[in-house]
Amino acid sequence: MGLNGKAGEVFKSIPYILQGLEVTLKVTILALIIGAALGLILALMRVYGGGFCSRISVFYSRIIRSLPLIVILFGLYYLGADILDLSAYTAVILALSVHTAAYQSEIFRGAIQSISIGQMEAALALGMSKFQCIFSIILPQALRRAIPYWSNEAAIVLKDSSLAYVLGIAELLRRGEYVSARTTMPLLTYTIVGVIYFILTFVLSRGLFFVERKLSIPE
Amino acid sequence: MVEPILRIENLYKNFGDVEVLKGVSLTVEEGEVVVIIGPSGTGKSTLLRCINYLTVPDSGDIYFEGRKIEYKQDNLSIVRQKIGMVFQEFNLFNHLTALQNVAIGPSKVKKINKTKALELAEKELLRVGLQDKADHYPAELSGGQKQRVAIARALAMDPKILLFDEPTSALDPELTGEVLMVMKDLALDGMTMMVVSHEMGFAREVSDKIIFLEGGVVSEMGSPEKIFNNPDKERTLEFVSKITRLGPIDSSRGGSDI
Repeated sequence: MGLNGKAGEVFKSIPYILQGLEVTLKVTILALIIGAALGLILALMRVYGGGFCSRISVFYSRIIRSLPLIVILFGLYYLGADILDLSAYTAVILALSVHTAAYQSEIFRGAIQSISIGQMEAALALGMSKFQCIFSIILPQALRRAIPYWSNEAAIVLKDSSLAYVLGIAELLRRGEYVSARTTMPLLTYTIVGVIYFILTFVLSRGLFFVERKLSIPE
Repeated sequence: MVEPILRIENLYKNFGDVEVLKGVSLTVEEGEVVVIIGPSGTGKSTLLRCINYLTVPDSGDIYFEGRKIEYKQDNLSIVRQKIGMVFQEFNLFNHLTALQNVAIGPSKVKKINKTKALELAEKELLRVGLQDKADHYPAELSGGQKQRVAIARALAMDPKILLFDEPTSALDPELTGEVLMVMKDLALDGMTMMVVSHEMGFAREVSDKIIFLEGGVVSEMGSPEKIFNNPDKERTLEFVSKITRLGPIDSSRGGSDI
């Protein structure tokens, strides 16, 4: 079998690689949703929570951001395997969520703090409760501002989801690795995997850019 | 004797080592327009912000409608609903249109149904002459228009008293007139107002009482005639003439900055 034959093998395996798309997307989307919820709570604790809550939030963010994702992943998986009996799949989603939550909390915190204090004061002066101020006045503005930075973080999570391969989950990269081993064509195989990630990231970024424009308010 | 709508007794406020208010006492009667003047850094804004507890005073009492406001026990929301505030920097909610800015107070705070709140907001915008700007976002309005929307927003809560914190200081001179005109109309309608301002034309023509605040205390207080023409203190005269020299105060030209 010549080079063409081997390359042909790789190309014929593209549908097989693409079957990993579902896992990649599921892991990414779930991690982003859980991470956003947790990140937002951490950001609110940091800005409005007062001494104790604020310190917990800072502590979380510092610790998590100083750990490599793979350490969190193995930690959760092996610890989880002993105590919680987490599946590899759950461990990956949790690790990515815990990791991205720290970064997202910083994004949301920055966005919240960028809204002028006058907005909160005007809302309080009307008689709104702090809760109403935050949810009706501050967050609608802050979250809009956060979209470009959040979009960047979403792209990072999408690519980080490839780390699931170390736990043997058959997502895009893992399938690429199988094909590479079978065909002995690593360069071509990984190029194809790379192109798939590029297309996903591109679509995600464009999509979020569209949302950003759609929600934009005159400034 | 009718209880004054607002009575402040011996108000103190420090920011760190800086004593800003050093025992301010004053009263505001219902329907009165009180203008507070004084050099910058003398606590005029702080005094105003203490009244609705955006700034919490260190000591002293504030009686509103005859009742002492208890910072720790009272539901401040209820007090604040009755005390409207207009800020120097407008502080319109940037993500809401002019109409929504005015409607959000009644709808979120008073829980008035949304359609009714929007109808009410339309009326208030009409009152400040901005019904045609209802669908504009703050960024699409001029400074003067923003401030008029902010006044409408405060009015929509149907407050008992309106506090104005340097309402025209952030405006280009040619835009102050429209805001002062709206304020004058409010005064004529009988609204109780407390205004921190350097607009001497407005103070002279519209106010019932002028308070000269200096060094964190009420240095002198009296009718505009007295403060402008015959103050008790040399220092008051000096300040007033210094300020008025900066802008037109000729009463025949009072309209030029009103």
